[in-house]
Amino acid sequence: MDETGRIVRLILRKAETLSTNFEQDLLAMLPRLRRFAIGLCGNPADGDDLCQMSIERALANRDKWQAGTRLDSWMYRIMRNIWIDQGRASARRRETFVDEDAGLSVGGDGAQEAAVELSMVDRAMQQLPEEQREAVLLVMVEGYAYREAADIAGVPIGTLNSRLVRGRDALLALLGEPA
Amino acid sequence: MTVTRDELAAFADGELTGARARAVEAAIAVDPALLRDLERHRALKSQLCAHFDPIAEEPVPEALAALLRPTVEQPASNVVGFAEARERIEQKRRSLVSWPRWTWVAGPALAASLALVVLVPRGGEGDAAYADAKLAGLLDRRLVAEQSPGEATRVLLSFRDRTGSYCRAFSGADGGGIACREGARWKLEALGEGSVASGSDYRMAGADDAAILARAQAMAVGAALDGEQEAAAKARGWR
Repeated sequence: MDETGRIVRLILRKAETLSTNFEQDLLAMLPRLRRFAIGLCGNPADGDDLCQMSIERALANRDKWQAGTRLDSWMYRIMRNIWIDQGRASARRRETFVDEDAGLSVGGDGAQEAAVELSMVDRAMQQLPEEQREAVLLVMVEGYAYREAADIAGVPIGTLNSRLVRGRDALLALLGEPA
Repeated sequence: MTVTRDELAAFADGELTGARARAVEAAIAVDPALLRDLERHRALKSQLCAHFDPIAEEPVPEALAALLRPTVEQPASNVVGFAEARERIEQKRRSLVSWPRWTWVAGPALAASLALVVLVPRGGEGDAAYADAKLAGLLDRRLVAEQSPGEATRVLLSFRDRTGSYCRAFSGADGGGIACREGARWKLEALGEGSVASGSDYRMAGADDAAILARAQAMAVGAALDGEQEAAAKARGWR
């Protein structure tokens, strides 16, 4: 589409009140989407980038969303697809940061201990294969049923189940017995 | 019965119903190892939620929320019947320096460009500022579509805010901002620093314009006025 075409269409567009439900619904679920994105990426900066790309793709493809179907599943699917597409390269970047974090000395006060424990979860999550991390986040953090999570990940429910169990067992081993 | 790891996880995640759920429940009751596994699963879930849930409690970064604020440009498919208007507008096209589009405002460059200009929101009644005679005259009369590229101050676009008042975003070497109609005056709602004059006759909208437009987008209810609507609003004295 050329620039002039877009300009002309904007000028010609009537001032009809546009249905903004689509945007409003996305806006309402943005905090959750962001939690998922940051969980997938392992840090807020990459997570917010992923959020932005997902929103842009959703807006560009809004005509492909079928009203009456779940917008949140559709949106999570867009996000995980983008993440899988570009996953390998950013995973390498993340490992660098994680190693730096791991080198920090452990302080004595509670706040620092809490911070160290939180980054332990991040580190453990980043050690999971992508598919397992995704399954753990969708079910254990986002609270999706297996059927819905499998649908978002685009796999059979049995596959989702086994990814979840392997991811969960790996996390238990990495994080040890939670107090 | 034998309970597999998959089955125990499914039970812990509330996926089992009916007879299967009761069977796993019964097995857990008599098998301390299964109970321990179940509790480890639940403790892990709590640990993960304690870590990730606060993210969903945080305010969403403005740059992300702005992508979803009304009004994002819709793909307008119904342009049939506007052929004549289209032709007229095509002829005017060269005189349009840059017709702002919400989608352009919402583009990926937004976050970066917002950092370059600080828009100053104007305070309450006592602090209210209004456009001076020169700017007010320009805001009263100038239509976006009729501007020539050489204008020192350009009107970027017009829209209506939540109260239904007409607002106009403007930009020039002396500064830019947004003014909204209040009675017979134009109340300045936001002011930014001016563009750096490039000396070029043909000016592209700069980063500061992006900040002004982003602000306009946040304030606007509905779409930016098109040329026809703008002319009609002008004819009514912007009321």
